Amino acid sequence: MAQLFAPGADALLRLALLSGAALIAGGAVLVAGIARSDYVTGVGIAPAQPVPFSHKHHSGELGIDCRYCHTTVETQATAGLPPTQTCMTCHSQIWTGSDMLKPVRDSYASGEPLRWVRLNKLPQYVYYNHSVHVTKGIGCSTCHGDVTTMQMTYRANAFEMQFCLDCHQAPERWVRTPDQVWNMNWSPPANQATLGPQLVAKNHIHGGDRLLECGICHR
Amino acid sequence: MAGAVLTPDTPTRPGGIGRAVSDAALHDPLGRRWWIAFAAASGLLALFFGVILYLLFTGVGIWNNNNAVVWALDIASYDWWIGIACGSLALAGTLRLTGTSREAAFGRGAISRLAEANALLCTIAAGLYPIIHLGRPWFFYWNLPYPNTLGLWPQFRSPLVWDAIDIVSFLVVTVSLWYVGLLPDLATLRDRAFAEAQATSERAGRPRRWPMLRVQAYGIAAAGWRGSASHWQLWAQAYRIIALLGILLVVSLQTGASVMLAGSVLPGWHDTILPVTFLVNAVFSGVAVIAALAMLVRTVYRLEAVVTLRHAEILARLLLGLGLASLYGYAAELLSGFLHGDAYARATLVRRFTGPHAWAAWTVLTCALLPVQLFWWARFRRSPLALALVGGLVAVGAYADHVMVLVVTLSHDFLPSSALDYRVGLWGLATFAGSVGMFLVLLLLFLRALPVASLSDLRRQADPGDGPAQAQARSDAPAPDAGTPIWAVSAEFATQDQLAAAMRALARRHPSRGGNVRLDAFGPVPMADALKALGRHNRSVLPYALGAALAGGAAFYGMCVYATAYGYVFDVGGRPRFSWPSFVVPSISFAMMSGTLAVHAVLLFVNRLPRLNHPAFNIPGFGRVTQDRYFLAAEARGPDFDADRIVRQLAALPEGAGRPLAIARVPR
Repeated sequence: MAQLFAPGADALLRLALLSGAALIAGGAVLVAGIARSDYVTGVGIAPAQPVPFSHKHHSGELGIDCRYCHTTVETQATAGLPPTQTCMTCHSQIWTGSDMLKPVRDSYASGEPLRWVRLNKLPQYVYYNHSVHVTKGIGCSTCHGDVTTMQMTYRANAFEMQFCLDCHQAPERWVRTPDQVWNMNWSPPANQATLGPQLVAKNHIHGGDRLLECGICHR
Repeated sequence: MAGAVLTPDTPTRPGGIGRAVSDAALHDPLGRRWWIAFAAASGLLALFFGVILYLLFTGVGIWNNNNAVVWALDIASYDWWIGIACGSLALAGTLRLTGTSREAAFGRGAISRLAEANALLCTIAAGLYPIIHLGRPWFFYWNLPYPNTLGLWPQFRSPLVWDAIDIVSFLVVTVSLWYVGLLPDLATLRDRAFAEAQATSERAGRPRRWPMLRVQAYGIAAAGWRGSASHWQLWAQAYRIIALLGILLVVSLQTGASVMLAGSVLPGWHDTILPVTFLVNAVFSGVAVIAALAMLVRTVYRLEAVVTLRHAEILARLLLGLGLASLYGYAAELLSGFLHGDAYARATLVRRFTGPHAWAAWTVLTCALLPVQLFWWARFRRSPLALALVGGLVAVGAYADHVMVLVVTLSHDFLPSSALDYRVGLWGLATFAGSVGMFLVLLLLFLRALPVASLSDLRRQADPGDGPAQAQARSDAPAPDAGTPIWAVSAEFATQDQLAAAMRALARRHPSRGGNVRLDAFGPVPMADALKALGRHNRSVLPYALGAALAGGAAFYGMCVYATAYGYVFDVGGRPRFSWPSFVVPSISFAMMSGTLAVHAVLLFVNRLPRLNHPAFNIPGFGRVTQDRYFLAAEARGPDFDADRIVRQLAALPEGAGRPLAIARVPR
């Protein structure tokens, strides 16, 4: 009987089998990598805004409190985006002729709000309330990053479910004393291991059980 | 050599009995009839794609599913397909495990391939339903544990997840059982098609490309199977082990599918007998479909000599027994319901027979339970027509049973306010018809391209064993040129006993350890005696299978425990943190899959397969090793190999006690 396959056929078959296996494994890694990449999550990407507003300048260098603009963060679900009038409290007095601020003045004159590009979006099936987080001791920077260093604002964290659950599972690692909530450079103090559980007990935070129920966020 | 292969076989020679079967795979005997059937099945398949597109666009509402009847024809169809698949796998596995005698091998050869293929095709048809019945089918992989950005695990306490694991495992095990069984048969097809392609090329006077491509496709699928005694040894072990794992998986899967209903508190479902009735009805419907298919194949392909009336009789008895077991299940459900069931359970039982879906219960009675009673009479047991008709009816009855169990309970539970009627709609029926189309397309392709019965099993019966050598000794093939390196000296035999005698004689003179000769035997059936002469009869796949199954099961169980008790602690209706019983079913399924994959890997790696190009194929006339010839190879190991001495030793063996038909020096 003659050989049906040339001697090189086995090498080719093995190469094909190995390539197929590598392709499947590599494809899975690639898909998982893309799903977590900044390209998909938008982390670190600062989109163009109608006015090049700098958190670094206003909040970092000038020291304006977060709540000066985001007025409802302690009382409502939404932190609130400031109306043009808030900008004009200062900019009717300073930098009044700046070209950069022309869209703000136009908006003020016409009554048409500025159309900011929203960065931190949650799906509509997620219920999120700023006030409960802030008043129970979760600081701004835990989710939004250190905005006082952001010349143009970008998304600091991918708001995937994993991100929320990390904290809901162990809030004692992130909870702060009330005076630290607005501290944009906060990092856990040395005594967080003892302080955290105390704060959690004091603020009645039920991490690990009640905070992991589906209905806490998906109402 | 091509001429030798094309010599027509007489039925007394090995390979003769399976000739008709492999002929059907190589030269389609149906012609236009096959194409008409294929066109019709393809039409249904096109309908399936159409329905799925519309379903993806619109949602499961097209099936008339509503807030109460969330599961209707979709899950009934799934349960029906997977039930038939389970029955087929249970039958195939049982046939594989019972009896090692020649008669037993021949007996199962006619049915087991059909059962294995049917198990696989029905699993494919079933496997689509759990995906398309999801609200968002494109997220079907959420049911499987994978590293996700949600920070979540699947809920391993839920039978829905068990089912996802079960189906994946089931698919792996059915593919594996089917393919392992097919391996030697693919080699037979390869060698026969190769001989025919060579003959065609010779007639045409130039190489023909298309026939050779087909041969190479068979060759790649056969993974270089060359019927070595050690191939056969591991193959037979692997086949039986996968069969056993498959049977255990059937029990595990039907438990998962039934506890999905029994684990709820709904009337008509919340019953400990449900796993048993599910299993019995699954095997019942599977055997029924196999019986009908076997009779159909017997008639259409004229395989009366392969699928005999004895097969019909055994299948009929099996159907009768399973039908009685099924009847017992229904009776027990009614009895316990009326004896100690609550008012809701009793009302559901009454509604099954009098409600708007009473047709389903009466169909079960008239199609599944009553017709099999015909098989009390021998006349019907030996009638292929009766068996085919009853088999078909039982399949219809099994479908009605799933509709009855699902719809009657769901359309009316405890509260009058949650009662919502359901009507079978056109789209639901079209989806089911489409899945039948997919099954038929695959079945027709299987019938067209592959042997419908197991050639390696059928060959066992025709193997003359100790019969007289019928073939005349052929003249020695021309020796290769003096300069060509020699791979081995080969010898050809007509029977297994002659081969074994020669093996023993050579093994005595050339000890396997430290010698310069390595012996191997090749043949169309497992060769126990030759294996003994080789001293390799003690190898076993079992430790690998057992180890992998235990490790896989333990790993999956560990994952379930970690996920539910540590990774993401989640209170489901007050169930304990460590809900150990709910992890058992998916772990068992996963264990069966791990064992199967390990067996498959060992079968290929230890046998050094796939190996497409091998010096053994240089043996003159080796094409018949997958049909009716036995070969011995004394391979050269080391510089002291003396080919002439081995040729002399072989030629000196007495006639009838190891004298070969032909001896050849095989080039590397």
